Amino acid sequence: MRRCLLALLQCLVVLVAVFVVGTRLPGDTADVLRGELGTPEQVEALRARLGLDEPAPARFAHWLGRLFTGDLGTSLTTGVPVGDDLGRRAGVTLALGVPALLLVTVLAPLVGTVSGLREGSRPDRALNAAALVLHSVPEFVLGLLLVASLSLWAGLLPATAVGMEPGDLLARPAVLVLPVTVLTARHLCDLARQVRAGVAAQRHGAVAEHLRLLGLRERTVVLRHVLPGALGAAAQQYARCVEGLLGGAVLVEALFGLRGLGDGFVEAVQNRDLPLVQTYALLFAGTAVAVNLVADLVAHRLAPRRELTA
Amino acid sequence: MLAAGGALALGGAGLLTGCGGDTRDGGGGDRFRAAFTSGGSQETLDPHVAPNFVDQARAKALYDTLGTYADDMSVRPRLARSWESDASGTRWRVLLREASWHDGKPVTAKDVLHSYRRAADPETGSPSQVLLSAIDFDASRADGARSVVLVLKAPNFAFPTVFAGPGTEIVPDGTTDFRKPVGSGPFTYVSFTPGGTARYRRWADHWDGAPHVAELEIVPANEESARLNALLSGQVHYAADMAGASVERLRQDGATRLLTAERATAQQLLLRTGRAPFDDPRLIRAVRLGIDREALVRIALAGHGEPGDDLFGLGLHGYPEGLAPEERDVDEARRLVREAGADGLRFTVETSSVDAAWEPAADLMARQLAEVGLRMSVNTRASSTYFSEIRTKGVAAFNTTSTLPVSDFLQQRVRGGAARNQTQYASGRFDALLDRARTTRDERERLGLLARAQRLARAESGLLVWAFSDANDAVARSVRGLRAAPPNSRDWARFDRVRVG
Repeated sequence: MRRCLLALLQCLVVLVAVFVVGTRLPGDTADVLRGELGTPEQVEALRARLGLDEPAPARFAHWLGRLFTGDLGTSLTTGVPVGDDLGRRAGVTLALGVPALLLVTVLAPLVGTVSGLREGSRPDRALNAAALVLHSVPEFVLGLLLVASLSLWAGLLPATAVGMEPGDLLARPAVLVLPVTVLTARHLCDLARQVRAGVAAQRHGAVAEHLRLLGLRERTVVLRHVLPGALGAAAQQYARCVEGLLGGAVLVEALFGLRGLGDGFVEAVQNRDLPLVQTYALLFAGTAVAVNLVADLVAHRLAPRRELTA
Repeated sequence: MLAAGGALALGGAGLLTGCGGDTRDGGGGDRFRAAFTSGGSQETLDPHVAPNFVDQARAKALYDTLGTYADDMSVRPRLARSWESDASGTRWRVLLREASWHDGKPVTAKDVLHSYRRAADPETGSPSQVLLSAIDFDASRADGARSVVLVLKAPNFAFPTVFAGPGTEIVPDGTTDFRKPVGSGPFTYVSFTPGGTARYRRWADHWDGAPHVAELEIVPANEESARLNALLSGQVHYAADMAGASVERLRQDGATRLLTAERATAQQLLLRTGRAPFDDPRLIRAVRLGIDREALVRIALAGHGEPGDDLFGLGLHGYPEGLAPEERDVDEARRLVREAGADGLRFTVETSSVDAAWEPAADLMARQLAEVGLRMSVNTRASSTYFSEIRTKGVAAFNTTSTLPVSDFLQQRVRGGAARNQTQYASGRFDALLDRARTTRDERERLGLLARAQRLARAESGLLVWAFSDANDAVARSVRGLRAAPPNSRDWARFDRVRVG
């Protein structure tokens, strides 16, 4: 319960911080919308129409007040309810995020455990090599390399999702293969290595030795002690991995011309569209906080003997 | 690495027909797809609010303007058949050609009056609002179905430039809602989501002849690499706004063609003459002499451009002839700096990532100006609010302007007190020359006055055009009917003459 209150407080702190930073950004929505060709007169007219002449704290209080009634407000740039924009984009990001999460959730523990149990084996060395490469190649470059080789040269997969409606994505899942690969590759390796390290440490640890001396079979030692310990420790890395996927969405969506939440967030910041920016911040922060909360609980459940700090 | 990718792309292009999905369907050539940087979810199909190039491309598909710009930014008739003024240059009679809206109704003088009145309202947000506000709408009237009399508040013989201005499209009388727009342009509306795809269908009854393609799609792709990859893989036929490494790559690619509009963008350094230190004309002259334009073009523009001579509009109608080129003179510049008592003077130039050339240009200029005794530092600002910030902040800033009529440029950016005059140049002599040009009926005489005004502005205004850079769009090899044309001109992003396959 205390942990949940703390989580709510964290979200509120993020919102206030985002709002303060948002108002400190140069210019406002009226400046952006009228752009280079706008005259001061036109910008003033728009500013008044958008209610941007109100003081900033009042606007924030207004927005927050309505938030508690479930009203996310309307976008300054489009005048449409914020929820509509989010709803349209969430589908695209989920189409990327769900396969990415599934991949990470299933493959990382599998690869990590195999490597950890057989240190120095071929899969283990392959994992280490892949992790090294993926850490030295920025995601952006990885994306361009994959597009150049698999799409432009080999013609195996679509190069971008340019011109596709959100609904088309699921009808033609081939479009998602490259974005999901770029999004997950590094996190998958990181998490697998974390699991591997945990498995190796647990396997050679004093407790495991003790259990073996008690005459337990190796299989039992691994399943009952090594794996829970290793996965418990990896749960927090998993939470960070989810945060990483949210952040990675910004880049991957731009690279492949997808119009999801990452793209929407960048656009909202560029437009100085604070109601929209705050809603995105709430969504991202809320997800991160919730995932961390769950991770803590899981870690605690898998390795209750350990003192875990949030 | 990108270059290697380009070579790879050559081999792959032939294989892509299998996976491109709907891009090659309809027997080839039925649907033309063009990728642009999008304005995001605030976009509308309101042609009078056209802040970005993509808005112009969409407006061009759906609507017509009374006039249109040739490559040199002189005005040609379009929806108007002809125009003429009275002897004073205050009353302009515009005759419309026979044209109809997509719903079959005829285009009339009332539509023109409604459109111009709407775009002249500051609330609407048209880029041509200032020019249109010269019209006295109470005195202007329709004179028959296809004849309109526009009365100006002051004489202006250069007024027809507004007929082709961005954000002056003719919409049906009374239109204020653009969710299901009805235009008179070569394509009819099918669907549109803000920040998303705009779909159009060929309109067979267009007065200028029906488009060759059955469908037009304008799709968003904000990241340059996404536009490039979409073009290289055959997902789109046209990719707008290619720069730097993408241009190099496209040059080596056999399946695409670059459309390079030379001198399309005037690269400017703005020195604020209204503030210290550049209220001292010697320092403006010192900067003009101190920068090495050849080196800037070679390095900051990677050779894709040519040096400027501190005036906008090289190659355009109204650019003065016989201008002596600006040449670097370090000794003279240093002498001027010393004479102004400004040796070692520090100042900051504002820049941003709006144009990829600015930051390298700023670094290089800082080194060049150090040689004449000026210490310039660089301040990089956020791109989406850059232009509104530099309106009030700083003493020096980078800027670019795409091609537009020379007289409009001078009116809007150099005249004293003009809303977009960012150097705060205010010269009674310059303004008087512009006024005389506006009230001069004979074109040669008018251009002579404009040339005198420009020579004055070149020396004094603080608006330094250090180079002209190229603008690049790219098309698939299979596309015919598109040529390189300067932005804002009739043939730029003109998709009604396009053929595919």
